[in-house]
Amino acid sequence: MILTPNIVARLIAIVVAGVILQLSFFSQVALFHVSPDVLPALVVVLGLLGGTLTGAVCGFWVGFLLNCLLIAPLGGASLVLLATGYLAGLFRERFEIHSALVAPLLCMALTLFAELGFGAVELTLGIDAPISGLVIRDMLMKSIFAFFLGWAIYAGVRRALRPALVEEPMVRRGRRPTVLGA
Amino acid sequence: MYRKQVRRRRAVLALLIVGSFILLTVTYGQGSNGVQRGVSTIFSPLQDVADRALKPARDLVNWFDETFDAKGDNAQLHDELQVARKQAVGAKTALAENAQLRKLVGLDKSGAIPSGYDPVTGRVIARSPTVWFADVTIDVGSGDGVEVDDPVVNGDGLVGKVAAVTGGSARVTLIADHSSAVSAKIVPSGIQGVMKPSVGDPEDLILDFLDSEKRVGKGQSVVTSGWRGIGIESDYPPNLPIGEVAEASLKQQEAQQQVNVRPYADLRDLDLVQVLTGGSRE
Repeated sequence: MILTPNIVARLIAIVVAGVILQLSFFSQVALFHVSPDVLPALVVVLGLLGGTLTGAVCGFWVGFLLNCLLIAPLGGASLVLLATGYLAGLFRERFEIHSALVAPLLCMALTLFAELGFGAVELTLGIDAPISGLVIRDMLMKSIFAFFLGWAIYAGVRRALRPALVEEPMVRRGRRPTVLGA
Repeated sequence: MYRKQVRRRRAVLALLIVGSFILLTVTYGQGSNGVQRGVSTIFSPLQDVADRALKPARDLVNWFDETFDAKGDNAQLHDELQVARKQAVGAKTALAENAQLRKLVGLDKSGAIPSGYDPVTGRVIARSPTVWFADVTIDVGSGDGVEVDDPVVNGDGLVGKVAAVTGGSARVTLIADHSSAVSAKIVPSGIQGVMKPSVGDPEDLILDFLDSEKRVGKGQSVVTSGWRGIGIESDYPPNLPIGEVAEASLKQQEAQQQVNVRPYADLRDLDLVQVLTGGSRE
């Protein structure tokens, strides 16, 4: 990703809009008793499009802003989401993305990773209450939601950051190159 | 050139990781700090606008969820309605008598809020996205008289208490959060216990440390006990409704000294809440 001031401004706008939308909308709706968590998916998409550094930095600031607006202890969400963004970026740098399914599948897998990460941070800091088995259902459902929301997030963010993307494969369908003299 | 880039990338990553750990260490267990107050002040108006603008969309999505639920609840509700009708007749008489008595002693007309408290109404503007935290942010803060540890209720019962405040917003830790513990009692028997959550399931609370000699029955109501000792007292005033006993097997009571409680307040779907400011706390 080519980072110009314009693109950095767009990244900041995406991060702020994502966090506000999560807190004001997604966290307050429930489908099958589970609220979707789009923030790990957003960080995954940014990592996929921008690489490890962009993913990690965006993950850190998404977590920071989230905790600031929730007036919660800082650092925990940043740590988990920067790891999520880094892993997504690492995937992009190590493997070729051939299928349109890659982004949503990665959103699903890394949302599960992030939810487990949030749990690990909280368990490390201490939980003095029994843990319901529904936590597992909740995490799995969030991952499934992330799969479906990942499509839309990937398409939207890629469109917003298109001028900065180094590789933007243009798929031409139904037309072969003309070979003169053939 | 490439090695330089790699080194720079590693340095940034190390800085972010170390920064996260420092932030976690410094801010864990604190109410709120200057950075959060600043960021919250900047973004509060934006959150408020987004919250209001997105309410119709939220209601639509939640309507679908509730419709699925309603199908399953229909038969059960018919049975409950018959029982409730019988109880309502007696309750109306009691309420009328209660209202007259309350007027006599000059207490709050609704009876839901204990005397000495000044309720401040707030709207939920944000909610923690992970299952591990049961926190909401409301749009009233220290500027409205809200203080840390103030109890928070809604029309159905106890919701939680204020964990941190900024000028225009406050974080409310719900009774379903893992850090929550509420001293409670069963009415009318008066059996005391501590209400703790079952992390990940906001519809299931656990009333723990019950007296194993006494029996608790399904359907009994649970309210805050609001104990008071020398120089120390509960954050919650007495008799705030919390929920009703959903499961109380003999084995569970004897072996674990606990019963399961379903909260009256729908902790998944909070909109307007009241913070009980003031009170008798120093």
